[in-house]
Amino acid sequence: MIAVLGLVVGVVLGLVFEPSIPDAWQTYLPIAVVAALDAVFGALRAYLDGIFDDKVFAVSFVSNVLIAALIVYLGDQLGVGGQLSTGVIVVLGIRIFSNAAAIRRHVFHA
Amino acid sequence: MTAGARATARPDHGTAYTGLLTEIMSSTLDADYQAAADRARELGRPRRPPQRTAAALVVLLFGMMLAVSALRTQQLRPATAVERSQLVAQIHAREDRLDALHSQVSALEVDVAAVQTRAADRREIQRRTDAAVTSLAAVTGAGAVTGPGVRVVVSDAPGAVGSPSGGVILDSDLQALVNALWTAGAEAISINGNRLTSLTAIRFAGRAITVDYHSLRSPYVVEAVGDPQTLPARLLETPGGQAWLGLQQNFGIGFDTQPVDSLVLPADPILELHHAQPVVPR
Repeated sequence: MIAVLGLVVGVVLGLVFEPSIPDAWQTYLPIAVVAALDAVFGALRAYLDGIFDDKVFAVSFVSNVLIAALIVYLGDQLGVGGQLSTGVIVVLGIRIFSNAAAIRRHVFHA
Repeated sequence: MTAGARATARPDHGTAYTGLLTEIMSSTLDADYQAAADRARELGRPRRPPQRTAAALVVLLFGMMLAVSALRTQQLRPATAVERSQLVAQIHAREDRLDALHSQVSALEVDVAAVQTRAADRREIQRRTDAAVTSLAAVTGAGAVTGPGVRVVVSDAPGAVGSPSGGVILDSDLQALVNALWTAGAEAISINGNRLTSLTAIRFAGRAITVDYHSLRSPYVVEAVGDPQTLPARLLETPGGQAWLGLQQNFGIGFDTQPVDSLVLPADPILELHHAQPVVPR
């Protein structure tokens, strides 16, 4: 419950204060969001599995975001930023869908 | 490495790739959760009560990222739309310009066609004028002519020069001969290669006959372009011809008329008017 509250508060804070981010980071923010989404779904599944650990969640969240941004940054420097973004999105997308399926099994027992 | 070894190596690659995909598909749960849970169980520690605050902070961060990212995309959209509408406006402007240029091209094509027609007309006029000039040049003596005709060779009576016997051809005799040839139907006449024109005078100057200011001596060769069949006979029928027959018989003056198949009469090299102005018909 407190997590959902945190999500709502975070969205509201972001919309209200519109924190300015450096232009250089703007390209990587969407990728970072998708990576964060993967970490959140992973955490939700772990919570439903009963093995949730907030330290693991925080670490996986931060590392997911950083690694995804780093990969795309590296791709940009090598001239294959678009392809690497696609690759990262595909892999993270598969993971998100699989986690979502596991969560669905937990919630609906189906 | 041999070909056989490579062949055996290939299936391994296939399984490796399949394994990678399977790995991605199956092990979606971060193994860290399981590892942390296992370690906690091994240490016999009771599971730590999940500290909701930390998780809430992380989720809050996630929410902010989500909001900011969405917001930025929203903010960028108007700029893209403006760019797009500008491009569309540019396209329309260029299309209008293209249409204008197209209509200009068609207008110019019409102009070009008109000018070409006019040029063709001018060329036709030019051609007719050239033809007229050429035929007029033949008539006036400004241009050389060729054609059949007669050659009349007249000469002073032998031993007549310097004697008062009357055996010398006078300028009036030559004038009479030329007039007789014109009367008989000659179309162009030359005397000793001097073409007769409307400006040509035949007169005595000193003791010689000058034609077109060239002094000539006997014999005088008068060439006339005309019908070689009728010209000699008609020449003799004219009063001038009769007079010349008289001269031939009475004074021994040479008078020899011969039809010629092809004569070439040169142009008068100096044929210009100083006072007379052509009247241009309107």
